[in-house]
Amino acid sequence: MSEATKSPTVDAWWMRLLTTVGVPLLSVALAMAIGSVIIVFSGHDPIAAFSALLQGAFGGWRQIGETIMRATPLMLTGLAVGFGFRANLFNIGAEGQLILGSLGAAWLGLLLAPLPPILSIPLILIGAALFGAAWAFIPALLKAKVGAHEVITTMMFSWMALYLTSWIVSGPLADKGGIPQTPMLSGAVWLPTFDTIIPGLPPMRAHLGFLLALLVAVGVSLVLRRTTLGYEVRAVGFNPSAAQNGGISIPLTTIYALCISGALAGLAGASEVLGVTHRFFDQVSAGSGFGFTGIAVALLGKKNPVGILFAALLFGALSAGGGTMQLEADVSQKIITIVQGLIIFFVGAETIVTWFIKRRKRLALEREGATNA
Amino acid sequence: MPVLELREITKVFPGVIANDRVSLALERGEIVALLGENGAGKSTLMNVAYGLLSDDGGEILVDGKPVRIRSPRDAIALGIGMVHQHFMLVAPLTVTENIILGHEPARLGIIDRPKARARVVEISAQYGLKVDPDAVVGGLSVGMQQRVEILKALYQGARILILDEPTAVLSPQEVRELFGVIRSLVTAGLSVVLITHKLDEVMGAADRVVVMRDGKVVGETTPSQTDQIGLARMMVGRDVVLSVEKGESHAGEPRLTITDLQVPGERGLEALKGVSLTVRSGEIVGIAGVDGNGQTELVEAIVGLRRPSGGSIDLKGRDITHAAPRETIHAGVSHVPEDRHRRGLVLEFDLAENLVLGDHRDAPYASHGITDAQAISETARQRIKDYDVRTPSEHVLAGALSGGNQQKLVLARELGREPGVLIAAQPTRGLDVGAIEFVHRRLLAERDSGTAILLVSMELEEVMTLSDRILVMYGGQVVAEFDSADADEERIGYYMTGGKVAGAAPAGAQPAGTPDSAPPAPPMGGAL
Amino acid sequence: MLNGFFTPDLFASAIRMATPLALAAIGGTICERSGVVNIALEGIMLIGAFFGVVVTLATGQVWLGVLAAVLAGVALSGIHAFASVTLRMDQIVSGTALNILALGLTGFLMEVLYGHPGATDSIPHQILPVFNFPAASGTGFFATLWNWINPLLFGYTPIVYLAIIAAVLGQWAMYRTTWGLRLRALGEHPRAADTVGVRVIAGRYVAVLISGALGGLAGANLSLEQVGSFSENMSAGRGFIALAANIFGRWTPVGSYLASLLFGFAQALQIKMQAYQDVLHIPVQFFLMLPYVLTVVVLAGFMGRAVGPAEVGKPYEKE
Repeated sequence: MSEATKSPTVDAWWMRLLTTVGVPLLSVALAMAIGSVIIVFSGHDPIAAFSALLQGAFGGWRQIGETIMRATPLMLTGLAVGFGFRANLFNIGAEGQLILGSLGAAWLGLLLAPLPPILSIPLILIGAALFGAAWAFIPALLKAKVGAHEVITTMMFSWMALYLTSWIVSGPLADKGGIPQTPMLSGAVWLPTFDTIIPGLPPMRAHLGFLLALLVAVGVSLVLRRTTLGYEVRAVGFNPSAAQNGGISIPLTTIYALCISGALAGLAGASEVLGVTHRFFDQVSAGSGFGFTGIAVALLGKKNPVGILFAALLFGALSAGGGTMQLEADVSQKIITIVQGLIIFFVGAETIVTWFIKRRKRLALEREGATNA
Repeated sequence: MPVLELREITKVFPGVIANDRVSLALERGEIVALLGENGAGKSTLMNVAYGLLSDDGGEILVDGKPVRIRSPRDAIALGIGMVHQHFMLVAPLTVTENIILGHEPARLGIIDRPKARARVVEISAQYGLKVDPDAVVGGLSVGMQQRVEILKALYQGARILILDEPTAVLSPQEVRELFGVIRSLVTAGLSVVLITHKLDEVMGAADRVVVMRDGKVVGETTPSQTDQIGLARMMVGRDVVLSVEKGESHAGEPRLTITDLQVPGERGLEALKGVSLTVRSGEIVGIAGVDGNGQTELVEAIVGLRRPSGGSIDLKGRDITHAAPRETIHAGVSHVPEDRHRRGLVLEFDLAENLVLGDHRDAPYASHGITDAQAISETARQRIKDYDVRTPSEHVLAGALSGGNQQKLVLARELGREPGVLIAAQPTRGLDVGAIEFVHRRLLAERDSGTAILLVSMELEEVMTLSDRILVMYGGQVVAEFDSADADEERIGYYMTGGKVAGAAPAGAQPAGTPDSAPPAPPMGGAL
Repeated sequence: MLNGFFTPDLFASAIRMATPLALAAIGGTICERSGVVNIALEGIMLIGAFFGVVVTLATGQVWLGVLAAVLAGVALSGIHAFASVTLRMDQIVSGTALNILALGLTGFLMEVLYGHPGATDSIPHQILPVFNFPAASGTGFFATLWNWINPLLFGYTPIVYLAIIAAVLGQWAMYRTTWGLRLRALGEHPRAADTVGVRVIAGRYVAVLISGALGGLAGANLSLEQVGSFSENMSAGRGFIALAANIFGRWTPVGSYLASLLFGFAQALQIKMQAYQDVLHIPVQFFLMLPYVLTVVVLAGFMGRAVGPAEVGKPYEKE
C-alpha cells in the first residue's frame, strides 16, 4: 500500500529527466536502429553507411561547414514550427512560407543589390520574413475567423506556393536561358561564408545565416518569456478559454502566432537564397523539404529554442552526410527521410514509455492478484 | 442476502488512496444513501462497482456470489445500472438510439428500429417515465435527460441502480419528482444507491445512510436515528456551522444595470430573452435557477465573452454592452468563472503567471510589451499570502494545486484587482466544506467593502445564504424576484421550474405532473 | 472558342479524378466519426499506390497489386491506430510522421528495387474499364444520348465503381447498423459508449483500419488505374483535400463522395483547360493550383457551419 502511494513521486523525477533529454535521444537511437535494419534488408552494410554518413557530416572542417550550412534553414523552420506549437497551431505548411520567403529574397536581392550590403541585406531579410508571414496570413485569418484547420489550409498553401513561384521564375522573374530560375544575385547581397571571415578555415559553404539563426533563436526565446505577446501566445496555446476570459483575443493571437511562424520560415528561405543558392529555383520537381524537416526539428527540440538548435544540427548532419553515404556506401539518401519520420513518431510517442511502465505495473498487479487468489 | 455487497474495496490513484478497504451492502428494495463530501471517494467506489475503474483490492458479491466486474459490460450483465453525475448521453443521437446503444435489438448487425422504439415506449409506460423516443437528446432539458439515463439503465435490465449526485442540476420540485420515481422503482423491486453530499436528501429519501470521509467509511445510520447536524459532523469530522453569519447589507448606488438583454444561443434559439436587473454597491444579488436556463449566457454576456443581440449593459453610466473581456476587466468587472479549469486558470502556467492574467499588459506587470517578472512575483507573493493559497512558492504550476487552493487563486486574482463589480458563477462547485466557508466569507467581506456582487449558483442553499436579493431565471428570463428576508425555497422552486407569471405565487404550489407519492419537501437546511 | 469543352469526357474525368479523393474522404469520415483524425491518409494513399505497382510488377497480377495496396494502407493505418488510440499520441503528429515515413520509404524502396529515383517502371497492363460498350455512330438524339450515357455510366475502371459502392454502403451502415450507431457514439462521447459496454479502443481500431484500407484502395486507383506507374509523392496533397471533402460532406460517406466530385471536377477542369492554354493565355501553373485553391475556398466558406464529432482528435483514457 505505502509503496503504491509513493511510487508516483519516484516515477516523477526520472520521468522528467527521461522526457526532457532521454526521450529525444532514445527516439534518435531507435529511429537509427530501424533505419539500419532497413539498410540491411536492402542488401547494404549499415555500418559502412553510417560511417560514411559520419564522415560526410563531421569528417573535417569542410564537412562540419556542410552540416552547419544544412542546419541553418532547419533551425529557422524548426523555430517557425515550434513557435506555432506554442500557440497550439500546427504549421505543417512552413514549406510554403519558406518558398515564398526564398522568392521574396531573390526578388529583393535583385532589386536592392545597388545598396550597400549593410542596408540591403537587412532589408532583404525583413522583406523575406514579410513574404513568409503574408503566405501564412490567409490560413491564419481563416483559422481565427471560421476555424478552418491550419493543417489543411497551410498544406494547400504550400502546394499553391510551389506552382505560383514556378510560374514567377518561368515568367516575370525568369533568367535568360529557359531554366526556370531567377537571375543570379550580385555578390554584394550574399551572406559571406565563414572561410571568408575567419582566416585559416578551408573553403566551406557554412555562412553567416547560421549566426542569424542563433540570434533568432535567442529572440524567439525572449519574446516567449519576456513579452506580453509571448505570454498571450502561451496562454492561448495552453488554454484558450482561460486566455479569452483574461482579456486575450484568441483570433488576434492566432493570427500573430501563425504569421510570426510564417515570418521565421520566410527567413529560412532568405538565408538559403542569400547564403547558399544565390538565386531562386523552380521547386516543383524537388521541394527543399526544410519545412517538413522543421516539424521534426521542432518536435525533437521539445519546442524550446536550445533543443531546436541541437535538433537542427542533428538533421543538418544527417542531410550533409547523406550525400557521402549515397556515394560511398551506395545507400539512398531517402533513408534519411525515413529516419526523420521515425524520429517524429518516437518523439511524439513519448507516451510509449509511460505506456510500457503502466503495462508492466498492470501485469505485475495481475500476477500479484493471481498469486493472492 | 444483500443484492450487492462490496467488501474491503481499495482503490489507489497516484498519490491518493481514494478508497481504503470500503465495505457496503445493499439489500433488495432498499435505498442506501452514500453520503460524503466532494473527494470523499463515493463516486470512485461506485465506479469500481460499475466496472469503470478497476479495484486494487477487495471483493464484490452480487446475490451473495463473488463476481469480477472488469467493465461496464460485466456490471450490466449482472443487473447493475448507473446514472452518472455527468450524463453519459450522446447529444446528436435520439432518445431511442441512446437507450439501446450497446444493447441494440438487431439481426445480422442491422438494427431492428421498430422493435427498439417499441421497447423504449413500453418501458417508459411501465415505469411512468414519459419521453419522446424520437427526440434528439441534445435538445432535451436536463431533467428529461436524466429520465433518459434512468430508462437506459432499466432497458439494460438493471436491478441495482446507482445514482451519482442525481439532484445537482434539478429544481426542488424536480428533485421531489425524482424521489417519487425512485420510490416507485424500489417498490417494483429495484435497489438503489444514492450518492450525494446533500443532507436533506439523505434525511428525506434514504432508508439507510453510509457516510464516507477521506476514502473510508466513517459511519452508518438511518435517518430516524440522526439529524442533519449529526450527519454533517460525521461527514466532515468536526462540528460544522451550517450557515455563515451575514450582517445587514448597506446597498448603495447602482453599479451594474442590465436592460432587456438578449443573447443568441445554440441552434438559433435565444438563450436570453430580455433580462433586466440591477446590482448596487454593497449587495449580493443571487441568481437561482436550474442549469441551462440562461445563467451561463448572462454571465458571459456581462464579462464580454458573448455578444448580446439586443438590450444594454451599463456599468456606472458606461455602456459595456459590446465590450470585450479586456475592456470589461478595465472597467472594473471581475469574474469568477463557473469552471475554473476551463475558464479560470491556465493550469500549465505557474501561480504568478496566473495571478496577472487579465492585468498582464498593464503597469506594473508590463510596459511597452515587455513583462516585468520581478513585479509579477512580488504581487503574486502578496496575493498568495492574503488569500491563504497553500503552496511552496509562486512558481508552482497551477495544475499542481488542490481544487480549493485553485479557487482561492482565482479569487486572489479577481478580488485582488479591487473590482467595482464581481460576477461569481458557481464559486464553490466541487469544493470541500473548509474551502466553501472560505469562499463564502470572502464574498461577504467583499460585499461589506462596497463591491456589487452578482452570484450565480445551482445550489439554491448557497444563493439563499449569501444573497440580499434573489432573482429566479427560467427559460432565458428573470421570472421572479425575492427579497432575501421573504424568500422561501418552495416559492423559488416553483419559479425555477417555470411558474410563469411573476407576481404572487401560490405558496407551496406545485408544478403539474408531480406524483402524489412524492414525500413532503424536506427543509434545505444543510446542503453542503 | 470553348467548343467541345463541356463534353461527356469532362464529366467522366471528374468522376475518375474524384475517386481517390472520395475513397480517402470516406475513410476519413469513418475514422473521424470514431474520434480519430487521420492526416496519415496522404501517406497511406502513397504507400498503397507504391505497393500496388510493386506487387503488380512482381507477379504480373494487377489484382494482387490492388490487394497489396489495401494491405499496405491497413498496415500503415495500423501504426496510426496504435499510436493514437493505444499510445494516445497526438494524432496530427503521428499522421505527420507517417506521411514523411511513407514518402521516405517509397522513395527509398523505389531506388532499391528499380535503381532510379523519380518513378517506377510502368505496369504492363493498366486496369481496364469494367464495361466496354462501343460508341454509337451518327448524330441522332439516341446516338448522342448514348454517347453521353456510355462514358458517364459505363466508362470506368472497377475501383471507380467501388468508391460509389463504398459511399452508399458506408452511409447505410453508419445509420442502420449496430456498428454505425456505436461508431457515431464513439466520436461524440466515448465515455458514454464505454459505460454501456461498447468497446471504445477496439471500435476506434476498426475505424482507423477501415480508413487505411480505403486509403490504400485510393492509392491503387491512382497508380494502377489512372497512371499505370508510381511516381514520387504522387498523392500530391490528395489526403489533405480528402479531409476537406469529408468536412464539406458533413462527416457522412455520401456527403464525402459528393464533395469529392466537386474537387474531382476542379481537377478534370484544370486538365482540360491546359489543353486550351493557347486560347486562354493563362499560365499552366494557375490551372495546377486550382484544386488547392478550391479546397481552401470550400473550407473557408463552410467551416463554422459544419460541426464535427465532438471528441475527434482526443485520445480516450479509461481511468
